[in-house]
Amino acid sequence: MIMFDHRLLLFATPRQIGVLDWRPGHMHWLGEFSADAEGLAAFRKIVIRHAHLPVLLVADTVDEDYRSEVLPHVQGRARDELLARKLKQVFRNTRFTGAWRQARETTGRRDDRYLLAALPDAEWLTPWLSVLHREHVPLAGITPLALAYQHLLEKLREQSAHTLLACRLNNSLRLSYYHNGLLRFSRLIGGDTPAQLPGNAADEIAKTQLYLSGQRILPREARLHVLLLDPSGQLDSAQAQLNADPAFSTRLIDMSSLARALRIPDDFLAATPEVAPLAAIAGETLKLNLAPPELLQHHIEFRWRRGLHAAAGIVAVLGLGLTAAYWLHARDLDDQARQLAQQYQQFDARYQAIARTFPTQLMAPEQLVQTVNLARQLGQAQTDVTALFSAIGQSLLATPDVALDSLGWTDESPAANGGIQVNLDAGLSPFDGNYRAAMRRIEEFMRTLQAMPGVYNVTLRSSPVNADSSSTLSGKTLNPDAASAPAARFSLNLLFREARP
Amino acid sequence: MIRPPFAILKLPLLMLLTALLLATGGILWGQRQAHNAEAALQQQNTALNQARQQLDRSRQQQRLLTTHLGDYQTLVARGFVGTEDRLAWIEAVQLANRDAGLYGLGYRLMPRTASPSSLAQGLPLGQTRMTLTFPLLVETDLVRFLDALKTRASGVYHVQGCRLSRPDNTPFEAANHPHLQAECDLLWFTVATTTEARHE
Repeated sequence: MIMFDHRLLLFATPRQIGVLDWRPGHMHWLGEFSADAEGLAAFRKIVIRHAHLPVLLVADTVDEDYRSEVLPHVQGRARDELLARKLKQVFRNTRFTGAWRQARETTGRRDDRYLLAALPDAEWLTPWLSVLHREHVPLAGITPLALAYQHLLEKLREQSAHTLLACRLNNSLRLSYYHNGLLRFSRLIGGDTPAQLPGNAADEIAKTQLYLSGQRILPREARLHVLLLDPSGQLDSAQAQLNADPAFSTRLIDMSSLARALRIPDDFLAATPEVAPLAAIAGETLKLNLAPPELLQHHIEFRWRRGLHAAAGIVAVLGLGLTAAYWLHARDLDDQARQLAQQYQQFDARYQAIARTFPTQLMAPEQLVQTVNLARQLGQAQTDVTALFSAIGQSLLATPDVALDSLGWTDESPAANGGIQVNLDAGLSPFDGNYRAAMRRIEEFMRTLQAMPGVYNVTLRSSPVNADSSSTLSGKTLNPDAASAPAARFSLNLLFREARP
Repeated sequence: MIRPPFAILKLPLLMLLTALLLATGGILWGQRQAHNAEAALQQQNTALNQARQQLDRSRQQQRLLTTHLGDYQTLVARGFVGTEDRLAWIEAVQLANRDAGLYGLGYRLMPRTASPSSLAQGLPLGQTRMTLTFPLLVETDLVRFLDALKTRASGVYHVQGCRLSRPDNTPFEAANHPHLQAECDLLWFTVATTTEARHE
C-alpha cells in the first residue's frame, strides 16, 4: 500500500507553515507560508491544488505537554473510554490531545505504559485547519515534531537507552528525550515569536537533564546521550562543554550523514532543513495523533474511498487476470483441437485412400473372410462313404448268413464332427425258426460291426422276435432241412465317425 | 467503531459493484469459453481416435482382402455367393450320374430356407434341399456317383444322408440290371449378398 502512498506533510509553527509533497523516493518542497492573510491565501491555493492528497500536520510549538502514564491493560472500546477519561482528566478541555500505547510492563499486573500528549494552546493552528477543512482535505493527523524526530533517530540507527536530541531549527532549540528509542518528553526553547535563542545550549541541556531526573523520567545514575543536530552549526560549541561532564556523551550529527540516512540530496536538505523530520515520519504509521475525531472525518472518508477504489481495482485486475487466464487456456485448447483436427483429416484422407481400393458392391471384408472360411468348412464336411461301406462290407463278409436289406445314413450337421447316424436293415439266411440261435448270430454280427474302425454305439433297433411279456407271441418251429423258412429280420443303429482332418 | 460514511461512498461502492459484476461476468465468460474448448477438444479427440481405429481397421481389411479376395471371387463364380443357380446343380447331378455310368436319376429341389444360426455364424447363409432318387447296380455305384458329383458340382453342398434299399427284395443276380435304389438328400448352400438379403 505504501507504493501508492502520496501525501502532503505540513510543518506548522505559530509563525508559518511549510508544505512538503511526498511520495516514496520522491519529495518536493512546495514552500513556506506565513501566518497572515497573504500566507493563508497562498497556502489555500496550494491546498486546492493538492486537495486529493492526505495531509499530515507536524506541529512545532512551545505549548505542548507530555505525560507518561501506566494504565490497566484493557482493549477495544474499554481502552478508548479509559483513554478518553484519562486525557480529559489530565489535559482538561484541551482540544488537541492524544495517547500512545508505548509498551507493556513486564512485571506486576502487566499494565500498559502510555505517553499522553497535548497542545494546550493551539489556537494558532485554527486558520490552517480551517483552510484544510473548507477544501475537504483528508487530514490524516496532527502529531508533535518530537515524534517525527523519533523516526529520525530510527533512521540514524541510534540505539542508546537514554537519548536527548538537541535540534536547532527555525531559530529555536528543541530538546527531546527518548527512552529506548521512544519519546518521553520534549520542549521547545526560543519561543513562538522571533526571539533570541539562549546563548548557551549546553546549559539548557543540563537544565533539561536535571528536570528529567527530578521528574524521575530519567534515572539519576543514567548517562544521557546527547545528539546535536543543527544545520547552522551553532550547537558545535556545546559539544566540548557537554563532553567535559561525565553525565553526558555527545554526538554531532552532520548534514551529510543525515541526508544519507534520510536518502535525500544534501543540497535539498541544506536548503530546507525542515524536511528532515518530515521525511523521517512521512512513510511511517502515525503513533500519536493529536487531532480530534471531527477533523479526521474527511480522512476517514478518504480512506474508505481509497479502500473501495483499491478493492474495485483488485477485483477488476483479478477478474481480468482470471478471464485472461481462462481465455488463454481456451485458446490453447482450441489450438490443440485444431491440431487434432488436422491429424483427423490426415487419418481420414489415408482411410479414404485405402477405402477407394476396396472393390465396390462387395460385402464387408470381415464377412468376406467369414464366407470363405465357411465355404471351406462346408466343403470339408463330406462323409467318407467308402470308409462306411468298407466297414459294413467287412462285417458282412465275416458273417455270411446276414443278408443286407437296406442301408441308410444321415449327417445332420455339416459343421460338427459328431459322426453320422447309420440305420441298417438285414435278415438272417438261412433261418430255421430258432430265435435263440438267431439272436446269438445277430449279436455276433453286432460285435463284428462294433470292432470295425469308426463304428460306435451299435444298438439293436428291432429284433426278429418280440419276447416281451406284454405282447402276444405265436409261430411254429421247423426242421433244419425245411425248404422255406421265414426270414429273421432285424434292424441296427450305429454311429460312424470318420477321422476328419 | 466508526461507521462507514455510506452517503458519500456511493460512487466507490458502485465502482466496486461494477468491478465485481464485470469480474464475475468475465470469469464466467472465460470459464464457459474454456469449458466449450475442452468439450470441443474432447470431441475432436474422440473423432481422432475413431479415425485412427477406422484407419487401422481399413488396413486390416485391406490385408484381409489381399489374402481372401481371390478365394471369394472363386466362390462367387461357383455360385456360393449370390442367387441360387439351380440349373447348374441339376446339371451337376446329371453329369455326375452319367460319369458314374448310372441309369438316370430323379431330383426334387425344395424352397430355399435359412441355415441354422450355429452353422451360418451370422452370415445370410441359406440352404436348399435336393432329393435325388436313382437306381444302382451295386452299392459302390453310390460311391462313384458321389465322387463324380464332387468333381462336377461347382457349388457348395453337403450330402445330408443316403438310403440304399432293394425295393423288389429280389436276390442278387449276375445281370446288368439295377436292383438297388438310392435316395440321397443334398443341401446346397448359398450366401445371399447384401442386396438379396434386404429383398428377403
